[in-house]
Amino acid sequence: MAKYLRILLVVAVLGWLALSSQSSVEAARYRAGAARAAAQQRRREAPKGPMPRLADGKPDLSGVWNGGGPIEDITVGLPKGETIPILPEAQKIMAARQSKDDPEANCLPTGIPRIAPYPWRIIQTPTHIFFLFEGNIHSYRQIFMSVSKHPDDLDPTWYGHSIGHWEGDTLVVDTIGFNDKFWFDFVGHPHTEKLHTIERYTRKDLGTLVNEVTIDDPGAYSKPFTVTFTARLLPGEELMEYICQENEQDTKHIQGPARKP
Amino acid sequence: MRAKLSVLFAGVSLLIAVAPAIAHHAFAAEYDANKPVTLKGKVTKFEWTNPHARFYVDVVDENGKVTNWNCELASPNVLKRNGWSSKLLNVGDVITVEGSAAKDGAKMANAKTVTLANGQKVFAGSTGGDNAPVNP
Repeated sequence: MAKYLRILLVVAVLGWLALSSQSSVEAARYRAGAARAAAQQRRREAPKGPMPRLADGKPDLSGVWNGGGPIEDITVGLPKGETIPILPEAQKIMAARQSKDDPEANCLPTGIPRIAPYPWRIIQTPTHIFFLFEGNIHSYRQIFMSVSKHPDDLDPTWYGHSIGHWEGDTLVVDTIGFNDKFWFDFVGHPHTEKLHTIERYTRKDLGTLVNEVTIDDPGAYSKPFTVTFTARLLPGEELMEYICQENEQDTKHIQGPARKP
Repeated sequence: MRAKLSVLFAGVSLLIAVAPAIAHHAFAAEYDANKPVTLKGKVTKFEWTNPHARFYVDVVDENGKVTNWNCELASPNVLKRNGWSSKLLNVGDVITVEGSAAKDGAKMANAKTVTLANGQKVFAGSTGGDNAPVNP
C-alpha cells in the first residue's frame, strides 16, 4: 500500500510538472527557489522555544532578525492613545520634507532607531555587540560593552557612540553623538544633534526580540518619549550583499512630500 | 491517501506563495498604482544590481515605433529569496511585464509580474499596488 502511494505521488508530481509545461533549467531553479522561500516563510512564522543563554548566563541575542524599529512611521510604536510631542519647529521641518530627499532612498544609513526592511544580524562578543545590516546600507553598528562613559569630544555621526550594559536580561544601549541627517521613518520625523537614545532589548523567547527605545531630543521634541518595536528571528537565514549605491535611479523620479511607501 | 494528496497539493500551492516586499523608498511617490501598464517586448539589458534589479524592454507600437522601457524589480536579495537568479532573464527573451508606470511620465515601470519567454509567470517584487507593504 505504501509503495502504491509513493508511485501515485510521483505520478501526481510528474503530472503537475508536465501540466505546468516549464522545462527550462531556469524555470526549475525558480521553482526550487520559490519552494525554499515558502519553506523559510513557514519557519519564520513560528520559531518557538525559550530565550537562549550564553555560557556565562547572559541572554544570547545572536541571530538574524527582521524589524525591531520604525520603518514607515515611528508613531506606530507609541503606547495606545499617546501622541508624539513634536515641537512646532520640527513639525515645520517634517512638513517641508520631500520623499526624494529621504536619506534611505538615497542609499544612506537609517541612523537610530529606524530599521531597514531587510534582515540584520546580532553578533555578541565579550567587549562589543555588533549589529550587521544587510540593507540600506550594507553597514554595521558597534556597541561598546566594556566602556562605561561616552567620550566628551564626539563628532556627529549617523550611528553615534553606543555603550551597552545589562539590566537583568535586558541589554540597555545608550547612544549620543548623532548627526541630524537621518529621518526616523518614511514620513520624515526629524531630530537634532541633541538626540540621545536609550534602547532596551529583551529577547522574550527564541523568536522575539523587543526593542523599547526612549527618544530624548529637546531640539525637536518637548519631552522624551518611548516607542516599542518587535524584531522576529529569521531561522536559517543568512545576510546577503546589498550595495545600494550601485545603480540608484529612483530619487530623480520620486515626487511629492515625505510619505509612507 | 486522500490526506497525502491534499498535503501534496498544499505543497504545490505554496510554490506560488510569495512574501510581500517593501523597498527602501516610497513606491507611491514614484509609481502610480492607477497607471497599470502591460509591456510586451524583447529584453535589451538586464541589470542584477542594487537597490533594484532592472531590465530594459523594446516595445514596438502599432506604427512600428520602438520604445525602450526601464522596468524596476525588487532588490536582488529579495528576488533571490523568492526564487530568482541573475540567469532568469536573458537579452533577447521576449517577455510580458505587468506593472505600474512612473508618475513623471518617464518610460519606467515598477514590475508586478513578469511572464518569461517560456510562458512562466513570476513574482517581480513590486512594492506597490495590491502588494501592500507590511511592518515586520
